[in-house]
Amino acid sequence: MSRRTLIIAVAAAVVAAGALAAALALTTGGSKKPAAALGAATVAQMLNGIPQQGTTLGRADAPVTLVEFADPQCPYCGEWAKRALPVIVSRYVRTGKVQIVFNGLTFVGSDSEKALRAALAAGRQHRFWNVIELLYQNQGTENTGWVSDSFLRKVGASVPGLDVQRMLRESSQGSVTTQIAQAAAVAQQAGVNATPTFAVGKTGGAMQLVQISSFDASGLAPSLDSALAS
Amino acid sequence: MSDRRLRAVIFVLSAAGAGIAAYLTYAHLADVPVVCVTGGCETVQHSHWSELGGIPVAAIGLAGYVLLAATALFASDLARGIGAASAVGGFAFALFLVWVQAAEIHAFCQWCLASDALLALIVVAALARAWRAAPPGGGSSRPARRPTGSGLARPAAPAPPRR
Repeated sequence: MSRRTLIIAVAAAVVAAGALAAALALTTGGSKKPAAALGAATVAQMLNGIPQQGTTLGRADAPVTLVEFADPQCPYCGEWAKRALPVIVSRYVRTGKVQIVFNGLTFVGSDSEKALRAALAAGRQHRFWNVIELLYQNQGTENTGWVSDSFLRKVGASVPGLDVQRMLRESSQGSVTTQIAQAAAVAQQAGVNATPTFAVGKTGGAMQLVQISSFDASGLAPSLDSALAS
Repeated sequence: MSDRRLRAVIFVLSAAGAGIAAYLTYAHLADVPVVCVTGGCETVQHSHWSELGGIPVAAIGLAGYVLLAATALFASDLARGIGAASAVGGFAFALFLVWVQAAEIHAFCQWCLASDALLALIVVAALARAWRAAPPGGGSSRPARRPTGSGLARPAAPAPPRR
């Protein structure tokens, strides 16, 4: 093979590589972004700029604390997360009046535990709320195995700045198991027997269980306003 | 460096590249997490760019590395030409994928970058191997028969045995 033939062959290979690249770009939709979980943009926008520490959302010096007792698989919790939470966050949390503490429960079944473990592990990266809210946005049918590793990776990849691999690795740690056990003990002590259940009180003070009248923000707003006024 | 040594280098580098590509193909098909220190491997592996017509891009890379390793097994002109052309073509595609990671996915996969580094070395070795053996202009790289009529011409030395 002469050098001229060699140059022609190499040039042809570069052209073939270009064709392959073009095929890849065309079949993927070119500039299309990586697949994101449903509601990724909404959740990211809702939580953007709000401090998170573990399972707590909002400023540490917020005068009122709202505790949410919820299971990642509970459909009513999902409904509350979609309808009420954005308003509560916008009106009370973003303004520094209220901090929300998520007390995760897993009584519905195995998928609850897997989902909660991932969210708690994301909490180590200050992104618990991003993950738990995306889980609610993409909630599947109870205990059908919908919380697969693949699903969790997709959810994790939709959270800006989250190290998904680290989240998955840390989700099976013993400290997460302890955290879940502690949350269950807190719920039992508070007399929680259904989800979602809420408790409201002055930060650092006694908490009162609250019966919500609806799954939109108006179901909880009076309790929060009352705690803020007291 | 002798042709034999260049072939050995190409083969070893291609085998290493094939190992990486096989691992990424398996992780993609089995949907298992990839060992990753950069944190971007999952994002890259789950992006729309990780498949072409349902075929994992890593599998295309695996096929390329197998082809490169195969060309290192033969000492023919054809093997040298195919090796050089496929190495350069593969590297051009790899550069495109680096751009995709940087500009489209906004995450880097350490395994992909390691594969790119291997491929860059293979390009150098494969081009050196083909270029040295190819005579300038047209014709074959087979040595021309020397005229034997002249008393000044020494008889051609026998070619060293090839293994």
